[in-house]
Amino acid sequence: MRLTPILFTLLAFASSRAAAVDFAHEVAPILKKHCVECHGGSKSKGGLSINTRALLLEADVVKVGEPKGSLMIELLTAEDPDDRMPPPGKKKAALDPAEITVLERWIADGAKWEDGFTFSEKRYELPLKPRPVKLPQGKPGTNPIDLLVAEHFKKEQIEPPVPIDDRTFLHRLSLDLIGLPPSVETLAELPREGAIDRNAATDRLLADNQAYAEHWMTFWNDLLRNEYVGTGYIEGGRQQVTKWLYRSLVENKKFDVFIRELIAPGEESKGFVKGIQWRGTVNASQTQEIQFSQNVSQVFLGINMKCASCHDSFVDRWTLREAYGLAAIYSEKPLELTRCDKPTGEMAVAAWLFPELGEIDAKKPRDERLKQLATLITHPENGRTQRTIVNRIWNQMMGRGIVHPVDAMSTEPWNEDLLDLLANLFVESNYDLKSVIRLIATSRTYQSRSEVRGEENGPYVFRGPVRKRMTAEQFLDSIRSITGVWPEPEGNALANKGLTGGQLKAVMDAHGLKKWDDRPVRAVFASRDELQAALGRPNREQIVSSRPDILTTLEAISLANGPEMAGLLKAGAEKLKAKTASRDLIGKVYLAALSRKPTDSEIRVAAEILGESPSTEATEDFLWSVFMLPEFQYIN
Amino acid sequence: MIQESWYDESRPEQTRRHFLGALGATAAATFLGGAPRAAAGEKGVKHPAATADSCILLWMAGGMAAPETFDPKRYRPYQVGTPVEEIISTFPAIDTAVDNIKICKGLENIAGVMDRATLIRSHFQEDLGSILHSRHQYHWHTGYVPPQTVAAPHIGAWMAKVLGGRNDVMPPFINIGQRLEGHGESQELKAFTTGGFFGSEYGPMNLPFPALASQAVKPPGGMSPERFKKRYDALKDLLKNSPKSDQLSDFHQESMLRSLDNAHRLLGSKEREAFDLTKEKKEVFDDYNTGQFGQGCLLARRLVEGGARFVEVTTEYVPFYHWDTHENGHTTTERMHKEIDRPIARLIKDLEERGMLDRTLVIIASEFSRDMMIEGVPGSTAKDQSGAKTDVIKEMKHYGLHRHFTGGSSVVMFGGGMKKGHLYGATAVERPCMAIDKPVSIGDLHATIFTAMGISPKTEFSIENRPFYATKDGKGVSVREVFA
Repeated sequence: MRLTPILFTLLAFASSRAAAVDFAHEVAPILKKHCVECHGGSKSKGGLSINTRALLLEADVVKVGEPKGSLMIELLTAEDPDDRMPPPGKKKAALDPAEITVLERWIADGAKWEDGFTFSEKRYELPLKPRPVKLPQGKPGTNPIDLLVAEHFKKEQIEPPVPIDDRTFLHRLSLDLIGLPPSVETLAELPREGAIDRNAATDRLLADNQAYAEHWMTFWNDLLRNEYVGTGYIEGGRQQVTKWLYRSLVENKKFDVFIRELIAPGEESKGFVKGIQWRGTVNASQTQEIQFSQNVSQVFLGINMKCASCHDSFVDRWTLREAYGLAAIYSEKPLELTRCDKPTGEMAVAAWLFPELGEIDAKKPRDERLKQLATLITHPENGRTQRTIVNRIWNQMMGRGIVHPVDAMSTEPWNEDLLDLLANLFVESNYDLKSVIRLIATSRTYQSRSEVRGEENGPYVFRGPVRKRMTAEQFLDSIRSITGVWPEPEGNALANKGLTGGQLKAVMDAHGLKKWDDRPVRAVFASRDELQAALGRPNREQIVSSRPDILTTLEAISLANGPEMAGLLKAGAEKLKAKTASRDLIGKVYLAALSRKPTDSEIRVAAEILGESPSTEATEDFLWSVFMLPEFQYIN
Repeated sequence: MIQESWYDESRPEQTRRHFLGALGATAAATFLGGAPRAAAGEKGVKHPAATADSCILLWMAGGMAAPETFDPKRYRPYQVGTPVEEIISTFPAIDTAVDNIKICKGLENIAGVMDRATLIRSHFQEDLGSILHSRHQYHWHTGYVPPQTVAAPHIGAWMAKVLGGRNDVMPPFINIGQRLEGHGESQELKAFTTGGFFGSEYGPMNLPFPALASQAVKPPGGMSPERFKKRYDALKDLLKNSPKSDQLSDFHQESMLRSLDNAHRLLGSKEREAFDLTKEKKEVFDDYNTGQFGQGCLLARRLVEGGARFVEVTTEYVPFYHWDTHENGHTTTERMHKEIDRPIARLIKDLEERGMLDRTLVIIASEFSRDMMIEGVPGSTAKDQSGAKTDVIKEMKHYGLHRHFTGGSSVVMFGGGMKKGHLYGATAVERPCMAIDKPVSIGDLHATIFTAMGISPKTEFSIENRPFYATKDGKGVSVREVFA
């Protein structure tokens, strides 16, 4: 908000007298309670709408800085029932003196408003139920995504992106599906351009259940706050779901079953609903019950319940009561609504957000309530759940959600039909996550060149896939697959120690292994060391649904001189240079890292770095240079 | 040309070779300019005029007992048979350079520079129901009680974000002396040692070992500067010759190259000498060198001279070590006195001698104080964590302040626009030693620090459509009386 100099003076004056009024927490609730029903949203009784500050000022009911001279205060405090607001005839009560005082202070204080805040209801609301999509005409057998995207390009007058070649495709596909670049062997056997069967290549990768699970663990760990180590776990306040999660991914568990097992959990999967139990007292919006409310709505429904778990949300329609209703499903004891850390006296009643699909029976015991909730979240008519997950997958593969950000599913999608199409096909596939991945991967839309993007300005228009930065795990796994040097399994990861560790034990159990064999130890199973942290692996105190996509200076310093990176390079160089002559090494590294052959001029530069017969040092430097190429660190 | 059936085409990928001057073309936006894309937008707010350009936080990790340092109370010497309730301090008071200020024996050097300080004796912390150092440290360092639904930025990150660096190479936020791996609560420490939702561009550069700090800005172990430069040149050369160079104008890639360039500029700059304690005269080094903390103070001085914005130096938090005196408190505190006394006094004098003290705010603070009897505050549900429970002193390990006290603690602020030789607030003379005169909360203390640095305590960023303020709900109020 830009303030005029006069206003600044006023504010400085006001704030020196008393604490400034907090619009969001003090003023908006009063306006919402008493005024908005008639003067907000689509209503403007008597020609007055207070949806925005501008509207309020235009209507001349508020004189900034002068509560006594403001019509608003005059009417709210009028003796004459004919003048008084809200009209006494309505069921609304008059404002109490404390509320009047807040409004007076607020006006005196400059009638400040939350930037961008509005009481308007012009918010996009996604329909709840699934919606059939009518596909445009096209050649039979065309991927339906492409039919819709073709229509989009035409409508927006956008030159469609050119298709990518086989190598770029395989590189992108492999990193997206299993988190590793394609093997040198695969690439070496490529027939002439255009001759590979891309559908078959997709199926082959998806059939590698272990690699698929190892890659998607990163995504799910972030989303479910799994493998969180921190404050909450010290006294047993946290339970990991690694074993259950890994097995579920290996089996490609149907997503409705997956959700049911998380929400109405068995022994192995109960860590998600349990959340994190902190030592000591926590803010009322961070109890385990409220965490449950926030996490379930964010992960599965794309609803941000964080605002509403403290007070009725100002950014969407969710209320404190709804946030607590959801929490009460999980709670084993009566739960009192607490507004901004102050008890309200009202008790929460277990209820869920979309009663049109069915209700929770608050009288049933918790296990029953959780089962009911799981059933409602996976209800075939609950399009919200379906759209939320397919949008997340689209975001993982295409670099940007159809609805964006992915946790705010009440944002308008750039293409409703596309979102609904994916959701419908997902349900048709019987909630098969791999089928969504396959549908996207085999589309010409996915197999298009990435958009060269500037900074975000103005509304987003889809022009093609958006580049994705490798996760810390993809980066490390790629380097290791290129050099062939994988870490030894950590002892803790092999043993099942309850709160931490046991990640590799989960793999062994799922594959019936007695001991760890020569499988590569993927970075997702290692603890979060400083390099992984530097490259954006979160500590998972909060849910994370997308990793940072920008490499920062401090990260660059870690990559330029950090001991972990230096160690990776040294081990890799020793292994690689031992067997290879300079020219072969260049070709091999380019192929393994970038899935392409080096050009002549690249060979020339690389040969200068490496010299005739490459030393370990020269090899390290060459590897570093290749690993620092944006072409390597971004999935193009 | 737009065709219905664009997806049927199988034209080969065109190779458009727009040669960008690779790294040269990317504008030299640096630490000064911050990241190319802000994680969150700052809302319009009027910032106060700064009284300090840099800030050094001397962090007494683990709970520095005020009655054993800057707020001496009734003293009883060690004597077997003394009832614990009679003891508040285990160190006698000594005079300082300021008539009305006395501090504890063992801090003679700091006593000599108290005429450059404002001493706040009425700082207090929220009762979090159970003492967990890292939770209180999170609260103190971010202004927010964990857990939070979004990752709260460290106060150093706020300075990095709002003010940026003081020059274009020195990282704005540097954290000295805390190992973040290999002990009990390391993940908890990492949780607040971060840029939070601002992103890692604003997070700290961590230098756990001051003597090894120079390695952080040197080529990796064993690599000569020539080789380091050559390696970077090789990368630039590869980039120039890449057939994919047309993709470099993508903002992700452009910003990646800019970050690499920033890193290499720092590593090749003269400012990096600031990280190298061997460049210091032996006499000076020895005077500071009471251990890691003393070395950290010297490093902080050098970094601020080199243009750092915010530097934290910690005595290091390791559960049950250093200031975290669950037993044997007196003996341990005696050692801690020795560790901090000389280097802090020297740091103040050095800054003054260089004419920098006026614009450098140096703060001594801790997550809470300690008491011999009370855990938390009276009435708290916090579990007693003393490792030397007794009513009467029977052996040396009983003698000391072994419980965590959140009701009143001391903060010392030197330079940076603060009053000199000023005493602010007081705690009760008798137990419970609560802050009874002009209590200062974490939010108000942060507001004071931010105000000195020229940042409004109401500074607001929007994250997930919700406002997030420099002090909780924008409500921290600066303590005006401590400003000169």
